[in-house]
Amino acid sequence: MSIAITTSARFLRDCLLAAVLGALCASGAHAAPAEANLQSIEKSLNAVGDRIQRLQDMNEVTILQHTYGYFVDKAQWRSLADLWTQNGTLEIGGRGVFLGKDRVFEYMLVGLGPIGPHDGLLIDHQQFQCLPSVAEDGLHASIRCIAFVMSSGGWGHNYYEDRFVKENGVWKFQKLHGPFNMYSGYKIGWLDNTVLNTYPEKFPPPPDLAPTVIYLTYPNYYIEPYDYPNPVTGKPMPPPSPRAGGVDFGR
Amino acid sequence: MHSMTVISRAVQLASGLVLGLALCSSSFARDDAGRIAALRARVRGLEVETSYVEAITKIQRLGRAFGYYTDKGYFGEAADLFTDDGTFQWGMDGIYKGKARIKELLTRHGGGSTKEGPGLPFGRLNLRMQLQPMVTVAADGIHAHARWREWGLLGVYKKSATWGDSIMEDDYLKENGVWKIAARRYYVNFIAPYQGGWAALKPANGDQKSPIAKDFPPDSPTPTPYARFPAVYIPPYHWTANGNNLRSIQSRPPFVAPKRPDDAIGKLETLADAKELQLARQESVRAIENLQAMYGYYIDKGQWKKAASLFSHKGTYEFGQSGVYIGNAHIERALSLMGPAGLEEGQLNNYVMAQQVIHISDDNRTAKARWRSDVELSRAGKGRWGGGVYENEYVNDHGTWKFTKLHYYVTFWGDYDEGWAKKPFPMDPPSTANPPDQPPTRVYQSFPKLNIVPFHYNNPVTGKPIGADAP
Repeated sequence: MSIAITTSARFLRDCLLAAVLGALCASGAHAAPAEANLQSIEKSLNAVGDRIQRLQDMNEVTILQHTYGYFVDKAQWRSLADLWTQNGTLEIGGRGVFLGKDRVFEYMLVGLGPIGPHDGLLIDHQQFQCLPSVAEDGLHASIRCIAFVMSSGGWGHNYYEDRFVKENGVWKFQKLHGPFNMYSGYKIGWLDNTVLNTYPEKFPPPPDLAPTVIYLTYPNYYIEPYDYPNPVTGKPMPPPSPRAGGVDFGR
Repeated sequence: MHSMTVISRAVQLASGLVLGLALCSSSFARDDAGRIAALRARVRGLEVETSYVEAITKIQRLGRAFGYYTDKGYFGEAADLFTDDGTFQWGMDGIYKGKARIKELLTRHGGGSTKEGPGLPFGRLNLRMQLQPMVTVAADGIHAHARWREWGLLGVYKKSATWGDSIMEDDYLKENGVWKIAARRYYVNFIAPYQGGWAALKPANGDQKSPIAKDFPPDSPTPTPYARFPAVYIPPYHWTANGNNLRSIQSRPPFVAPKRPDDAIGKLETLADAKELQLARQESVRAIENLQAMYGYYIDKGQWKKAASLFSHKGTYEFGQSGVYIGNAHIERALSLMGPAGLEEGQLNNYVMAQQVIHISDDNRTAKARWRSDVELSRAGKGRWGGGVYENEYVNDHGTWKFTKLHYYVTFWGDYDEGWAKKPFPMDPPSTANPPDQPPTRVYQSFPKLNIVPFHYNNPVTGKPIGADAP
């Protein structure tokens, strides 16, 4: 297949070579058309360069999200908080919003425990299925991702809907929002041993802002909005049925 | 190719003859014109190659969006990812054709509503994690294939909790500039009750059809019957080779940009060099994702020889405290410590590949990557969990990426029935029957001991090396 592409590239090159030479000769090959040529080439190069940069940006924000997960695993809270902008925010589960890098660090340290790792305490937060989107300006990005938690306490399945900003050429967390889907113990799993969502007063330190959304975890229904339109239709997501989450829905 | 060269030369010659020596035989003008023409061709080449890398990214996006929709009962949105006459082959049930039928199929399996809007009822869990894409884009740029792994957490509150394990093989089509799923073949490997897990499953009797297929019959049968776990079945791969001719694991060979003349054209040539290198490195990221996914799919099914062939000749393999095996033949021998080639009935060897952090060298010659693997095993009727982190290295061997080093650091092994917290297992020591070439490069213990696996990269924001944080 690469041979086919190479061949087609050569084909194009030869055609273009011929066309350009023909044009140059016909027009007298003076300076002006050459300059115009260079300008149009530069424009095309920059246009395709922007597309290449978007690919790199998507990869870089995914690396940030995945690195966040590796840091949680081993309670590397200083390294983790360094991934934030100075005024970036964090909101996990129902505990409310924490403002600024220092509060992100405090949330992790006070809320989840001392810097680790700690033998016997497994808190693996596997980052799965990340779907990044980069804005046209190349300075803002978002991601939807899953944390599949295998911990000493059992299972967890959360989403992330995070926002990133590029400061001086470096992508950073501007906002981490981690709504919970399901937490359960190990012995019988999610059959009948699920854990309620968290809430601010249960968890020191208290938040800077109230939760942006109040919702319940499994067995209840909640859908965190998607940050991207449908990739095929381009339409924004419709709201869920008002009857979703009821016991008779679908019957 | 040759005929085009001949034609273009003829055009040059004709132009020169018609317009005379004064304009076109000046070697300076001709060189500039040639350089400009070459630049234009390079821009066009960049556009084609960028579309190729974008295609992989967009197909990854389709698969992941599908999972987020089905998780929460957005079955119409999920069906909209298909072409109008798209098909969905569900296990042994058969093939459903068209968006409306696919929507109803997903709705029935996920427990949603066929009459109301999106959503799920109280107590319905339908989390279907979409993992490990291996994407191959055809040379025409409008067809593609991908293999995916789905890991399901399914259930009805107080009634059932189950694990789902499936492989998907998809066809994709780019219609009016938009990538869509044209066909999905969804190979259910098991739906296992949480209690007892997959290791307790018995061979299925009967036709292996789901109850849903009886109420909602398919448009046509599954063409190739297969048996689920505990049988070992390999859903057909969309690729047939794993060597130099597989585009999915290729990128541009390593290169160093030449020194360009210090003139206006030279500036653009330098710019084009930089863009080509940047693009090649992004293409390499996708190639390594594909390579690691492919390796994982081979390991799943005990295809040791195929997996070992993905290493360079002097590649190394180290798993936990196994010690280091060097070269393709020894790596195959090391892999076979997991079980007989092809596995036996009842053996499960799922190694999920996820959470990649891939860095490509500046010259596109080498790469390093960190990966996560969750492990679901079954041996002799006993289930086992595992978890760990890879720190791997790769080489771009004349345009094809290969492993030069695979190192899996075990975080934990745990008994399925009691869990890893209550019943962790230690790592195996180096094999005496099949000894390694070198002792372990790093001696450590797995859970309940915990270690920070060394990071190949610096903190992406501060740029500082990553180690244990100060307390």
